[in-house]
Amino acid sequence: MAFHYVVTAHKPTAVTSCVTGNFTSPNDLNLIVAKNTRLEIYLVTPEGLRPVKEVGLYGKVSVMKLFRPQYEKKDLLFIVTMRYNAMILECVSDGENLEIITKAHGNVSDRIGKPSDTGIIAVIDPKARVIGLRLYDGLFKIIPLDKDNSELKASSIRMDELQVMDVEFLHGCSNPTIVLIHQDLNGRHVKTHEISLRDKEFVKIPWRQDNVETEASMIIPVPSPLCGAIVIGQESILYHDGITSVAVAPPVIKQSTIVCYARVDPGGLRYLLGDMAGHLFMLFLETESRGDGADVVKDLKVELLGEISTPECITYLDNGVLYIGSRLGDSQLVKLNTKADENGSYVTIMESFTNLAPIMDMCVVDLERQGQGQLVTCSGAFKEGSLRIIRNGIGIQEHASIDLPGIKGMWALTVASVGKQDNTLVLAFVGQTRVLSLNGEEVEETEIAGFASDQQTFYCGNVTHEQIIQVTPISARLVSAQSKTLVSEWKPHTEKNISVVACNSEQIVVSTGSDLYYIEIHPNELIMKGHVTLDVEIACLDISPLGENATSAQLVAVGLWTDISAYILRLPDLSEAYKENLGGEIIPRSVLMTCFEGHNYLLCALGDGSMFYFSLHKDSGMLTDKKKVTLGTQPTVLRTFRSLSTTNVFACSDRPTVIYSSNHKLVFSNVNMKEVNHMCSLNAEAYPDSLALATDNCVTIGTIDEIQKLHIRTVPLQESPRRIAYQEQSQTFGVLSVRMDIQDSTGLNPSRPSASTMTQSVTVSSSVGSLSLGKSGVSGMSGANTTPEYGQEIEVHNLLIIDQHTFEVLHAHQLMQQEYAMSLISCQLGDDPNTYYVVGTAIVNPEEAEPKQGRLLIFQWADSKLTPISEKEIKGSCYSLAEFNGKLLASINSTVRLFEWTAEKELRLECSHFNNIIALYLKTKGDFVLVGDLMRSMTLLQYKTMEGSFEEIARDYNPNWMTAVEILDDDVFLGSENSFNMFVCQKDSAATTDEERLQMQEVGQFHVGDMVNVFRHGSLVMQNLGETSTPTSGCVLFGTVGGAIGLVTQIPSEFYDFLLELQNKLSTVIKSVGKIEHSYWRSFHTDIKTEPCEGFIDGDLIESFLDLSSEKMKEVAEGLQLVGEGGMKQECTVDDLIKMVEDLTRIH
Amino acid sequence: MSVAEFLKGLPSYNEDNFSKFHADSNSRTALKKPSVYIPTKDFPSEQVIVTEKTSILLRYLHQHWEKKGMQKKRDHSSVDTDELNQSRKRPRVDYSTIP
Repeated sequence: MAFHYVVTAHKPTAVTSCVTGNFTSPNDLNLIVAKNTRLEIYLVTPEGLRPVKEVGLYGKVSVMKLFRPQYEKKDLLFIVTMRYNAMILECVSDGENLEIITKAHGNVSDRIGKPSDTGIIAVIDPKARVIGLRLYDGLFKIIPLDKDNSELKASSIRMDELQVMDVEFLHGCSNPTIVLIHQDLNGRHVKTHEISLRDKEFVKIPWRQDNVETEASMIIPVPSPLCGAIVIGQESILYHDGITSVAVAPPVIKQSTIVCYARVDPGGLRYLLGDMAGHLFMLFLETESRGDGADVVKDLKVELLGEISTPECITYLDNGVLYIGSRLGDSQLVKLNTKADENGSYVTIMESFTNLAPIMDMCVVDLERQGQGQLVTCSGAFKEGSLRIIRNGIGIQEHASIDLPGIKGMWALTVASVGKQDNTLVLAFVGQTRVLSLNGEEVEETEIAGFASDQQTFYCGNVTHEQIIQVTPISARLVSAQSKTLVSEWKPHTEKNISVVACNSEQIVVSTGSDLYYIEIHPNELIMKGHVTLDVEIACLDISPLGENATSAQLVAVGLWTDISAYILRLPDLSEAYKENLGGEIIPRSVLMTCFEGHNYLLCALGDGSMFYFSLHKDSGMLTDKKKVTLGTQPTVLRTFRSLSTTNVFACSDRPTVIYSSNHKLVFSNVNMKEVNHMCSLNAEAYPDSLALATDNCVTIGTIDEIQKLHIRTVPLQESPRRIAYQEQSQTFGVLSVRMDIQDSTGLNPSRPSASTMTQSVTVSSSVGSLSLGKSGVSGMSGANTTPEYGQEIEVHNLLIIDQHTFEVLHAHQLMQQEYAMSLISCQLGDDPNTYYVVGTAIVNPEEAEPKQGRLLIFQWADSKLTPISEKEIKGSCYSLAEFNGKLLASINSTVRLFEWTAEKELRLECSHFNNIIALYLKTKGDFVLVGDLMRSMTLLQYKTMEGSFEEIARDYNPNWMTAVEILDDDVFLGSENSFNMFVCQKDSAATTDEERLQMQEVGQFHVGDMVNVFRHGSLVMQNLGETSTPTSGCVLFGTVGGAIGLVTQIPSEFYDFLLELQNKLSTVIKSVGKIEHSYWRSFHTDIKTEPCEGFIDGDLIESFLDLSSEKMKEVAEGLQLVGEGGMKQECTVDDLIKMVEDLTRIH
Repeated sequence: MSVAEFLKGLPSYNEDNFSKFHADSNSRTALKKPSVYIPTKDFPSEQVIVTEKTSILLRYLHQHWEKKGMQKKRDHSSVDTDELNQSRKRPRVDYSTIP
C-alpha cells in the first residue's frame, strides 16, 4: 500500500467573491474576500485595509453574501459551497478575541435535478425574509428566514423558466419578489415572480419584459425609493420597474462583456461596472420628478473611468476606494478621483494583492545552484498573464556595494549628528579598523579620533549619554558621539587580551579567556560592576535586553569552549542562573537572546552551521524546549535587526538565513545570497531601513524583501502563458503564450501590446510550410474564407524565449493562423549534442470536432538566434511531449507515438499505442510511460526495446476525467481529476492472474477542493535542512486553478497510521466553521460517486495543530501513542507532537 | 454630465478611512496575512437548514387534494374514511405522471 501526505505550501489566491459590510461589529466596516476555501476578513482603517482573520472552510465557496436581518445591528454572512453546504455565519468579538459562530447550517442539495450551467445563484431578500437559491434547472429553492424556528425549511418551487441567466430580489415589494433573466427559443426575457412564503409558491407575475437583448446576463436590483431592476447586456443596458422602461446602448461597453458590479450609493443611483477586459465604468441613473413627489428614472449614463485588473467582483469600501477581486490577475485596492490623470483615467491603484491563479503550468529550477528549487509558473490569463518566480526565502535588493576583502566585523553608527539616522560604518579587519562615512549616496573613508584604528574592533556602537563604545583586544574605549574624543577607557586587570565581547546601550560584558567582566556605561565613565572566573574559556557572549523598549539586560548568555555548554548568568553579580549542556563536540560560536512575538528565546549557533534554540524564561533564566536546526555548514554569526517593527535575526553563514516568528513558531527563511560573513542593520539617509552585508570580498548595502515564507516575483507578459520549459544549456526559458488579435480594416492586429509584440526579435511560421493545406478534412483552412469577421478576436500563439536571469523576452516565434501551441519541452535527442525546444501544435478548425492536423516543431536557441531545425506534420493535436530514452514521445489525439531522431535531423515514427479517448498527459520513467486520458483515467505502458513497441501494462478502469498525472515511483501513480479530487493508483506486478495485473488499484483518494493543473517533481526547500523526525520521501509539487501550490510526499505505513490518528483527533478538537465534517470535505466526490478519503493525510489540518492553545494541544496529544525506539509504543507528549508537526511544516 | 460630476460626493461612512494610507509603507505591511482562525469552542447551531424531502409533484398533489378534501368536507360535512381518499388518490398519481 502507498500512503501520502498532502499539504498546501501556498494558499489559493484567486478571489472569487468579495463583500463589504459591518461584520465584526456594528461599527466596523469590513471587507470579506473569498479565495476558494478561505475567507479573509479585513477592517477598513485610516491606514488602509487591516487584516483581521483568515477563516478556512471545509468547502469551496460558491456564493457569499452579507445580509442584515431586521432585528440585527450587524451583518451576517451567508455562504453556499460547491457541494451545496449552506451556512449563516455571525462574528462575535469580545475585545481581541473573535469567534465565528455558525448560526444555521445544512445541505441544500437535492437527490435529483440537473445542476444549472450558469452555476449556483443565491440571493437574499432585501428585507431578509427569505433566501432564494437557483441550484438546478427548473427549480427555485427558498429558505424562509424564520427567527424562532429551530429548523429553517428549504423548499423547492417549480419554475417554468429552465435556462435562467441571473436572479435577484426586487426592493420595495410587500411580498418577496424575484426578477430573473431567462432564455428560451425566442431569446432572452425578463420576468418577475412574487413568492408566497406560506404556500411556498410563485403566486403572480407583477411584470415582465419579453425579448430583451439576446446577451443580457446580469441583473442589478435598484433599492427604494426607485426600485425596479437594471438589466446588463452585451451592448445595452435596460432599466425597468414594471411601468417605466429606459434602455441605452453606450458604444463604450461594446468592446467586452460586463461581468460584475458594485452599488455605490445606498440609494442606488450610481453603480460601478467591470468588464472582462478590465474596464471600470460608472453607471448613473438620471431621475426626474414624476409630479407626485416620487422620482422616476429618466436616463442611464455610462462613463469609462479607467483600467483595473480583470475583475471577478467589485465592492465599494469607503471614501472613493474600491476593492477589485480578480481570478485572473492581482486583486487591487483602487481609488476613484474626480480629476483624470494624464492618461485620462479616474482610477489610481493604491495596492495590489499577488495572485498566482490560474497556474497553467510550472517548472522547478535551481537557478542559483543553491541546492534549493524555485518555481516558475505560467500564471494569469489575457492582459493579466505573467510568469511568477516563487522561491522559499528572502531576496536582497542591492543598492550599493563596495569592494573590501577581509572584513571581520561591521557596525553602523550615528556620529556627530543631530538626527537619528546612521551616517558612519565601522569595519573591522585583522589588526585594524576603518571608518566609512556615508554622505548621501557618497561613501568616503574618515577617522574617529577617539578610536584605536590600529586594532581589530570586536564591537562598536552608539550607547547611552550620546557616547560611542569601541572594544578592541586591548581595551574598551568610550568616545563622545559629538566631539569624537576618547572620554574613558577600561582595560582588563590582567595582561590577557580581550577575546569576546557583548554590549547593549548601557552595559558591556567582556571576557579574557575564562574571566568575565561586567561593565556599566555612565557619562564619561566605564564602571566595572562584576567579575567572575569560569572553569572553561568563553566562546561567545550576549547581553541583549529582553522586552519591549528595554535598554538594559538582567541576564547574560554565555557559550563555553571545551565544555560545549550554554550558561545564563544574572547581572550584575554574574551568578549562574541556568546551565545547559549542548552535547556533541562542536563549539558554540554565537549566542543571542531575543524576543519574538512576546516570547523570549535563546539562540545558540555552533561551529558546524547548526543551531540550538530554547525558550528563555526571563525571570529564572531557565532554558526549555530545546530544538536544533541546521542553517549552513560553516560557523554562524547571529545578529538581530528590525524590519517593519518586528524583530528578526540574521544568521550569517554560507547559507544566510533570516529567523523570525510567525504564529508563535520560529521560521527559518533562507536569504538568496551565496554567503554572508557579517551583517549590521543600517538606517542611513540614502539607505533607509537597509542592511549592510559583508561577504569575503565586498560590502553590500541593500534592503530586504518583505519577510514571508514564499517570495514571489512577477514578470508581466500581458498575454496568456500556457506552457513553460527550462533549458539550462542556453540559460533560457521557453514559454508558449497566447495573445488576442482583433480583425479590423487593416487586418489582424494585437488588441494590446504584450510580450510577443514588444520583443525586438520576432519570427513567423510561414503559413505554407510543409503542411499541405487544403487536404481532405482541413478544407477551408486557408484562403479568403478563413478571414475572420470584422471585430472578431483571434488567438495568436507564440513560442517565447526568455532569459533566465533578466526574464527579458529575447525572441518570439509566431505560429501560423489557426495553429495552437499545445505542448513544449526542452530536450536532447539521439546522439545529437544540441539541446532543442520542441513545440507540439494543433491546427484548429472550428468546424471539426477535434483537430485533424498539427505539427511537431524543433527549434534551437543559440547565439541569440532561434533556428528552426525540423518540423513534422502530425495527424492531430499534440497535447503532450516527453523525452524518452533519447527519443521524442508525443500524445497526438487518441494516440501515443514515439519518434526517433535521425542523423538527418528528422523525426521518424517508430511505434504507436492506440487505446485512449484523448491522451492528454504523458510522464515517463525508465521504460515506462504513464498516460493520462481525457476520461479514462491513467494507463501505464512499457516500451519493449527489442520489439520496438509499446505494451499496455496496467490501467485504471475508473472513469476519471484527468487534469494532471505524475509517476511517484515504479509502482505508484498520482492523478488529479476535474471534480477537484486527487487519487493514487498502484500497479500490482505480483498479482497471480494477468487480469489482476492489468488492473491498477486505486489505493488512495482525496478531495483537494481545487483543480490541479500540473504536477512536478521537486521541492521548494533546501533538502535535509536539520535533522528531521519525519520520514517523508520524494516530493511532488502541484499548481491549481485557484492559484494554490501544494505538495504530495510519500510516508511509511506506521507514520500514516499515527498521523491518521492525529488527524482524527484534530478534526474533533478543531471545530468546523459551517459545521461541515472534515471527513465529508476530504471524501473523493464526483457527480457519480462519493467515497471516503483514504491513503492521504490532510497536512493542512495536521499543521493547524501548531496554532492551537497549549490546553488544546494537550487534549489532542492525550491517548496518542508513538512507536519509539525498539518498536515499543509510548505515550506521545505535546512536545513530541510539536516537534513532529514543525518538521512537517519544513518540507515546504 | 461630466465624469467629474459623476464622481462627486462618493459615499463616506467614516471620512478618516484611507486618509492615512501611504502606498510605500502599506505595500509591505499589507502583505502581512491575517492570522488563521482556529475554532476550538463548540457553539451549537441555533438553526438547522433542512431540505423538504417531498418532491414538488407530491407537494402539489397534496395541496390539490387538501383543497379538494376541504371542498368535499363542505359538500358532505361528514368525516369519511381514509380508505376512500386513498383509493381516489392513487389513480391521480398515475394519470398525472403519464403525460
